[in-house]
Amino acid sequence: MKDFFRRNGLLILIAAILLALVTAVVSMLLGGKANPVANFVNFITTPVRNGISAVTNWAEERYSDAFELEQMKTQLEELKQENAELESKIREAEAALQENERLYNLLELTPKDKQFTKEAAMVTARSTSNWESTLTLSKGANQGIEVDDCVVDEYWNLVGVVAEVGENWCMVRTLIDANTEMGGQLSRTGGAAILEGDLGLMGEGKLKLTYLPENSQLMSGDLVTTSGRGGVYPSGLVAGHVEEVRTDVSGMTDYAVIIPETDLDSLQQVFVIKDFTIVE
Amino acid sequence: MTRQDFFIKWGVYTLALLPVWFCEVYLLNRFPLFGVSPMLLPLAAIAVAVLEGTVAGAGFGLGVGILCDAVYYNPDGAMTVGLCLLGFGAGALAQYVLRQNLVGCLLCSLLALVCIDAVRILTRLLAGTAPLPAMLSLAGREIGWSMVFVFPVYALFLWVFHRVPKKTVL
Repeated sequence: MKDFFRRNGLLILIAAILLALVTAVVSMLLGGKANPVANFVNFITTPVRNGISAVTNWAEERYSDAFELEQMKTQLEELKQENAELESKIREAEAALQENERLYNLLELTPKDKQFTKEAAMVTARSTSNWESTLTLSKGANQGIEVDDCVVDEYWNLVGVVAEVGENWCMVRTLIDANTEMGGQLSRTGGAAILEGDLGLMGEGKLKLTYLPENSQLMSGDLVTTSGRGGVYPSGLVAGHVEEVRTDVSGMTDYAVIIPETDLDSLQQVFVIKDFTIVE
Repeated sequence: MTRQDFFIKWGVYTLALLPVWFCEVYLLNRFPLFGVSPMLLPLAAIAVAVLEGTVAGAGFGLGVGILCDAVYYNPDGAMTVGLCLLGFGAGALAQYVLRQNLVGCLLCSLLALVCIDAVRILTRLLAGTAPLPAMLSLAGREIGWSMVFVFPVYALFLWVFHRVPKKTVL
């Protein structure tokens, strides 16, 4: 042990403590912006990440082509049927929309309006820790992305929220991450609740809906969207659907287990909502 | 050992760290088993500490810790100081209590992984952000799956160890 202290061991320990302190303080001060070391490492490894991501996606596509053809054929048939049903609903909805517009004009009301400024980005890496659920995207501060921007997939399903931003990359905390907490709304009943990540459910790719409205009659399959309360996140983004209702360990309150609509494991391209205007 | 030997030696160790880092950050996290992917970077720090002793273990642990804090989300400096201490501890254990071989590396790795996850569990318990049973289950799966990778990681660094100058003078 004496040998350790004689051979600069103590200096190494002091350097480690100082560096750790600097990292912690800088991370705290930057508040979501990547610290210089993380920014540098992620900046120079971006081409590597992009390359690996491209190769993996290509391999996954080839695998799907080779082994999932039958499953895809069945899915196609189901989708054709669903499409026919939706087209019939659209025809009915068009008449309702026209009537709605006439009534708005008659009552001189401002119609609902949603405008989004989006930035397309590729998913280049996934969580490096089992204790968090994150995605690394190919766009960052250079493209105007900021902390707390919402991220959605091509079907407007919520993927997560930007948690850390570097020059040409950003880290997204997915909606199943244990630190996720945002306002949710039940589409069928309109009741508000809180969407919360849970470490136990994270491994199963799920999250929970807490503070359920009193006497809420939740049904399996009920859609949950973002409520938009607080103004930080836009409303109406689809988070997931109810799988089941459970009682927490205290036995006092219920929560719903939510299955995200987006498939976090196979995401390739996402959209970052940089700005939004919603007129309710 | 000359200064040049010193730089060559640690340059080779750093090069050996690259495939480990690549596998952890870009490959194995895409194919989780039992919902978890293995921690490889701490294993690399421990393997070098077991082979090289306390001073080199602490130094290499410091470098790997900085890398961990750079690539893991939400860096707080804990990995920098943690891996430095674990490198020092593993080096001392292997040098004075255990043996500087695979068995020593397995035991030191197990202890190191338990320490890392114990700190994670304690911080979350204090913050009240997650229930204990869920955290213990996650930590158990993570440690179990990571331990499988002690063998290839140790083999890689043992291969490097046999090819670099032996005596380290800092």
